[in-house]
Amino acid sequence: MIELASNLHLSQILTGEFRAWLLSGFWMSLQLTFCTLLCALPLSTAIALLRLSSVAVLRWIGFWMVEGVRSVPLLAHLLFWYFAAPELLPESARAWLYEHHAETLCAIFALTLYTSAYMAEDLRSGIRSVPTTQVEAGRSLGLSYLRTMRHVVLPQAIRIAIPPLISQTLNLWKNTSIATVIGTAELMYQAQRVETASFRGVETFLVTTLAYLTVSLLITGFAAWYQHRFPIRTA
Amino acid sequence: MHELVENYWLYFLIGQYPNGPLGGLTLTVLLGSAAMLLAFPVGVAFGLARISVFAWLRWPVTVLIYAVRGTPLLMVVFWAYFFLPSITGHKTDQFTTMLAALIVFNGAYIAEIVRAGIQGVPRGQMESALSLGMSYPLAMRRVILPQALRNMRPSLVNQFVSTLKETSLGYIIGLTEVSFIASQINAQVMTQTLQVYGVLAATYFILCFGLSRLAHVFETRSLSAKP
Amino acid sequence: MQSKIISLARVGALTGIAALLLGAGLARADQLSDIKKKGELIIGVLGTDEPHSFVDPKTREIVGYEVDLGKAIAKQIGVKPVIKQLTVAARVPELQQGRVDILAAALTHTKEREAVIDFSLTTFLTGQKVMVRKDSGITQVAQLAGKRVTTVKGGTQEPNMRKAVPSVQVVTFETAPQAFVALQQRKATAFVNDEVSLQDAFGKLGPAQKDYVILPQSISSEALAIGIKKGESSLKAVVDSTLRDLEKSGAAEKLFIKWFGPGTKVNYPKREFKIDTDQIPG
Repeated sequence: MIELASNLHLSQILTGEFRAWLLSGFWMSLQLTFCTLLCALPLSTAIALLRLSSVAVLRWIGFWMVEGVRSVPLLAHLLFWYFAAPELLPESARAWLYEHHAETLCAIFALTLYTSAYMAEDLRSGIRSVPTTQVEAGRSLGLSYLRTMRHVVLPQAIRIAIPPLISQTLNLWKNTSIATVIGTAELMYQAQRVETASFRGVETFLVTTLAYLTVSLLITGFAAWYQHRFPIRTA
Repeated sequence: MHELVENYWLYFLIGQYPNGPLGGLTLTVLLGSAAMLLAFPVGVAFGLARISVFAWLRWPVTVLIYAVRGTPLLMVVFWAYFFLPSITGHKTDQFTTMLAALIVFNGAYIAEIVRAGIQGVPRGQMESALSLGMSYPLAMRRVILPQALRNMRPSLVNQFVSTLKETSLGYIIGLTEVSFIASQINAQVMTQTLQVYGVLAATYFILCFGLSRLAHVFETRSLSAKP
Repeated sequence: MQSKIISLARVGALTGIAALLLGAGLARADQLSDIKKKGELIIGVLGTDEPHSFVDPKTREIVGYEVDLGKAIAKQIGVKPVIKQLTVAARVPELQQGRVDILAAALTHTKEREAVIDFSLTTFLTGQKVMVRKDSGITQVAQLAGKRVTTVKGGTQEPNMRKAVPSVQVVTFETAPQAFVALQQRKATAFVNDEVSLQDAFGKLGPAQKDYVILPQSISSEALAIGIKKGESSLKAVVDSTLRDLEKSGAAEKLFIKWFGPGTKVNYPKREFKIDTDQIPG
């Protein structure tokens, strides 16, 4: 182990071409995370509301969406949504997709679906922890179901749900690494590229691990700060 | 579709065996089960260390758990790939690499489940055990852990389902688990991408959803059986 | 009685020291003797690169030109061949860490790689070429400027392609067949690989062949060889002598005809090289 440490040639990885590749990968991973979050939050809210609906068919759809997506590994999702599903699109849509960064778009699609299934469950628990008296009060004031949801229940629910949602964001950040299998040029993809070109596996993966850990710790730190600043108020 | 199943069902289920190493769905289930079985004692050990009174035990384990949980599993797999031979002195194949990575990764997650489970047992239990003259380790083993394990069961089942899904990452290091085999079949056949990957997704669904449903049934049965 | 015990102890100590020295000597023994002791030669292959090494769908066994070469080497050493499947990107690391004894995995002999591993006599000469769809209108490699090209991760394909056409966009996948699927699905304009593998993929297309064409221009010349861990001179000597024997007896040419000759998907009329050197130009 000691001789391993003294043989590290980090400078080779951290300069020039290799550094450029790793930085572009890091930036892509951040973009994937951000875009997925943007799409997943509304989708997961919709799924959560489906699951809590009073209409049985809607509840059933919500249930199968969540269970179907969660039971399949992200890797299989990525392969499916990149290699299999686009073949179903009409010719023009498919051509457009393939001209415009199909790897990135399909990765975001698969990640959004996967993350939403988990976030929907966290939101659902959040909504269910809001006392039903709140809903009753909202309805008795003349607000429709959706209005009650939007102005009374969801704001409270989201506050409760934010810690598990942040933890899902952490999972999302780590999951972006799997997009390498469909050719998305994120951090892991670039790390593999640098490793092949430099023959320096340990150094490359050390730098990459530190990059992932930095953002992970930032997200975890944010969660801790949030729970400190916005503790859950019990009725 | 019919010829697809007819030609490749055996390859999908067991890979090259016996003309090569075991692969396919069987490998996925074997790897996931072995990983969970071996990660459990690791997780219990880490979990106990996490709540230990000895700071020299608590701090390194806490740092390790945070580091492992902050790193993508794929990264842990690559580390196992590079470091494992120099640590163990043995040449390791993809299966062992994947197994080691899964044990370390899931051990860190199980540690947190164990910690929550133990802290969920009423303090009075430990106090009574200690006042009866039991040592801390004995009290842990005979009184606290059995109760904690009952609390942990649903989370542990979730973790097992997660582990089964995580075996898919073996694809990236060339382990011939079911996702890799599906891609091989797809590359051979070339014209039935939707069917091949559809079957892959359905297989995982039946496996994982089936398991969590089964566990749910056992949970409700044992709950009703409780005094 | 006491003197007997002392002399016994002396003998014991001397034996112990001798065993330690012998053991240390054995531990420093080279890979070839390790292989002979183990009774097996672990051959790293791709298993996804027809006809070098691929899974026969009927027997589910890994077979191919390189598999046969590896088996011949194992037979020469007098041990059992064990086939281990690797990804393209994992070849050099696995060899360096000693997890495989030799690499028979479409490994190109390059100057960069010479710094970290050793190569046997060149077992196959080919070039890397580009396959495109006919309806893309591409007839020359240079026309791929700014276009998307797929290939496998971790090989010489990506750097060679970028050298040939600097502005090309390369998307890589874990295995070459996966990259070929991407071309077929029109996710890219071209697919880069060793000429032999391209010919084989082309052959597998069957009736769809009329939609594809392999551009005649080579973007590199590839000398494929067996990979050996750096410094293992006795192992390299055995591998080279096996290859020379195969060449002299005509068995090497027969192997070529079996996997690449007339009637195969690749369908080369004859072999254009000999297995006789381990030097590469430049």
